[in-house]
Parts: sequence; C-alpha cells; structure tokens
Amino acid sequence: MNSTVQKNKTWPVIFGILGVIVMILPFFSGPYIQSIGRTVITYMILAISWDMLIRSGQLSFGLAGFFGLGSYAAVLSAVNLHFNPFISIVFAALVAGLIAFLVGAVVLRLRGMYFAITTLALGEIFRIIIHNWTSLTGGPNGKLLPKLAFDGASIPTYAMMVLFALIIIALSEYFKRSRIHYALTAIRDNEIVAKSSGINIYKYLLIAFTVTAAIQGAAGAGFAQLYGFVTPESSFNANYTLIPLAMTLLGGMYSTWGPVIGAVLLGVLGEFLKLYIPYGHLVVYGIIIILVLLFMPWGIVGMAGRLLKKGESHE
Amino acid sequence: MSELRTENLTISFGGLTATDNVNFNIKSGEIVGIIGPNGAGKTTLINLIAGIYYPTSGKIWLDDKDISQIPAHERSALGIGRTFQLIHPLEGLTVLQNVMTGFLFAQKMGLKQAREEARKLCRTLELTGLDRATGEINILETKKMEIAKALATNPKVMFLDEVMAGLNSTETLEAIDIVKQIAAERNLAVGVVEHVMGVITKLTHSVIVLDTGRIIAAGPYEDVAQNERVKSAYLGGGV
Repeated sequence: MNSTVQKNKTWPVIFGILGVIVMILPFFSGPYIQSIGRTVITYMILAISWDMLIRSGQLSFGLAGFFGLGSYAAVLSAVNLHFNPFISIVFAALVAGLIAFLVGAVVLRLRGMYFAITTLALGEIFRIIIHNWTSLTGGPNGKLLPKLAFDGASIPTYAMMVLFALIIIALSEYFKRSRIHYALTAIRDNEIVAKSSGINIYKYLLIAFTVTAAIQGAAGAGFAQLYGFVTPESSFNANYTLIPLAMTLLGGMYSTWGPVIGAVLLGVLGEFLKLYIPYGHLVVYGIIIILVLLFMPWGIVGMAGRLLKKGESHE
Repeated sequence: MSELRTENLTISFGGLTATDNVNFNIKSGEIVGIIGPNGAGKTTLINLIAGIYYPTSGKIWLDDKDISQIPAHERSALGIGRTFQLIHPLEGLTVLQNVMTGFLFAQKMGLKQAREEARKLCRTLELTGLDRATGEINILETKKMEIAKALATNPKVMFLDEVMAGLNSTETLEAIDIVKQIAAERNLAVGVVEHVMGVITKLTHSVIVLDTGRIIAAGPYEDVAQNERVKSAYLGGGV
C-alpha cells in the first residue's frame, strides 16, 4: 500500500544521515566550507519555494525578483529604520509577500507561458525601480549593511541558515500534508474539475504565490546578511531563478525532498567546478538540466519512488 | 425538497447560440434525461448550470436563489454536482484523495473527516483499492470514482454527462442500478445526458430533447420518441 514516496522508510534514513552531516559540518571545517554550506542552503530554500508553487502547475520565473526585493527590504530597513538583522529578515519576507499578494490579483489570472513570462518581467520591473531610485536605494552602487547578524561570525550564521532551511522544509511538508496539497494538485491536474469539487482556485493560488514570494524575500534577506551589501546586479541576478529551477528538476518536482537533494548535489558540484572552470559550472548546470529532462523527467526522488514501487510489486 | 429551474437560459459564443432560451426544471426525486444529436448543446447546458460558463442572458434558480452569476466552486458548495463527459481524474491524487476533494472543499470538512466520509461513500459504491493511482483503475472503477466525486460535494442536483459511455452491457446495467439507488436514497434531482436510448428508457422519468441549443420536445421518452421534430433532428433533413 506504500503508494507514495513519503510513506517509504528509506527517505527518513537518508535525511537523518544528511542532517547529521549538516549539523557536524561546522566543527570539522573552516569558514570556506561553511560559506559553501550557506550558499547551498540559500539555493535549497529557493528551490523548495519554487517547487511549492509548481505543485499548482504555475511556473514562476519570479524568484530572482522577490529575492532581490527581499535583500533590499532587509538592507534598507536596517539602514533607515535601524531594524536588527533578524527583524529585517522577517520584514523582508512581509514586504515580498505583500507585494506578491497585491500583484497576484492580476498575475494569477494568467496561465502557462503567460504567467511565467509575466513573473520574469515583474522581477525586471523591481530591478529597474531599485536601480533608478537612487535616493533610497543607492542606485547602481547599492547599499552597505551597517551591521551583520552575529557580526558576521561564521558558525552562528551557518546555524541560522540551517534553522531557516528547517523552517522552510517544515512549511513545505505542511503544504504536502494539509488540504492545500489537495487544492494545488487538483488545480494542476484540471481546473474545471477542481472548481466542480468546490475549490476556490484563485484563493489557493494566491496563498501559494504569496507564501513562496515571502520565502524568496526572506532568502534574499538572509543572503544580504552573508555578503553585507546589495547591488541591483548581484541581488536580482538571474542565477537565483535558474539555479534553484535546475536543482528542483534534478532532484524531482512535487516533493520537499527533491529540491533538497538537487540543491545539495548541484550546489556542492557547482562550488567544486567553480574552482576549476569559473562560470563554466553554469554550462554544466545546463547540460544536467537537458540530460535530466531527456532521461529522468521525474528527477532523482521520482525515479527512486518508481524503482522502489517496482521492487515491491515483484515481491 | 429542492428544485433547479432555468429561465430563458441563453449563451452565445460569437455568432453561435449554443443554448437558446432554455426553460426546464428538475425536482428532488426526479431523473430527467437530456438528449439530442451531437452538438445540440447538452454539455453546454450542464456547464452553464455548473458555472463553468456564465449565461449571455437568462437565469438559473436553485430553489429561491438565482445562482446564474456566482462562481463554479460556490455552486458546487450550494448543491450542484456533476460528472464529466471526458473524464479527467486528478492524476496527482489517489482514488481516495480524488473522492476526498468534494468533502474537503464543497463541504468544508477537515482532512480526517473527509477521509472517513470518502471511504464510507466508496464502500457504498463498492469501489475498492482506494490507494491506487487513477491510472491504475479500470473503466467501471473510473466511472464509479467520477460519481463518488460528484456525490462528495453533497449535491441537491446532480448531472451525469455520459457516465455510461464506454461500459459494456453488464456494467451499464450495474451503473443504472447504482444511479437509481443513489437518487432514491438521497432524494436527488438528477439530469442524465446519454446517447444510449436503452439507458434513457430504463433510468429516466422524462426527457428534454435539445437541438441547436433549443428544447424541441419534452415529456416521457415514449411520447417524445414519436415526435416528428425529434425524428428529423436525429435523422436530419426537413420534415
């Protein structure tokens, strides 16, 4: 009867081991490895948030937009309102979520490619506004963060990012296990059938869009804490859309663990490749996406689920 | 006791009037057949009542409430249930989860209660193997799941859009019994779109005949079948 991957006993073991590695990593490594860990976790959070929305069938290219928005909201609130680093991260999530909630009224009428392109354009609009609003944002030069979380100490910042990731994993699992899962899956499969079962499509899409944008904003704010500054080019970089997407495709869509596995594999591989072929790691990402889509469209988690199921039916 | 009534219900798509001044009603306990040649507007009529389309003019009354302008998901909660001519199971959900959706959203139950109610409903329909994916069940099971999904919304009025299509004669007889039994137990008003006249004669109390969006005849099937306009609609040509 184990028809779903979550019910299987293999995954908790794998993630238990992964969790232990994550926990003891700081004690056996220098700041360099920890900074890689923080970067991977940032991408992991973005990947999970992208997956949470694609579960409703809506393909968003707006990650970098909300990520950049969140990083600016955090830095500007710290500079102008003297928010402490942690409150500024929460503030960034609220700003990104609120803006997603407001534009969602218009954007969520669109579907498929129209929705995808509009979310991409939305990110560009955010970037252009911030680029040109020099008096507030510092324009192309960006802004410096006056005070880093834990004064930039490596281990506590790493721990903060691990905690952040655990919260997002829990949130994603809540989405998978609550009525939201039923609504989003029904919307993805067939909107007319979903409506006929009483599902308010707009309401559930708005929830998913707002929550995922808030996560992306918080991720941007967390990243600003790692680097200590924001510029339009770095904060709104297209990589923050494309890399999480590649990670999710590799790990497997429609689950929490797919993006987690994809982020760890591709993130670690990418940091490693960067040393030998700077920027060439993006080419490798591209090749991986093509190979995954051709030969393993369900990603690692989907593939493993299928193999396990096959094994069971042969018993 | 509920009644669904349409009043001069009309919808035009560009120059094509797919539903043209349709007046009909169904009361609790009645099973009404909706028949007519291909393209007559049978499914369009159901889509209008379910709220997939909004009418160009005319009204839809559920008891004393005009529901013609409210969105589909609210109509589902108010008691309009339906199945689909082209079956679209929710493939990302198991059979049980498919049935749960109506309990969860139209009836606004919690997960646990919805799961129990869905199990109970499937048991009465003799639908088993509920943890399977929708791709793994046979045609009769799929039809039962579709009926269960419609019933899960706790309808007062239920439309079955060619629910017997694709079934063999034994399965069809089973399906007819199921529909009759459910309609009686729940005191439902049922609208049945069907091409097989054997099903219409066994199942319905009366029929309406649609042609090019208009009702051209109504009454017990035996009377309607003798109607010259109905014959010409099916056979083509002028009378």
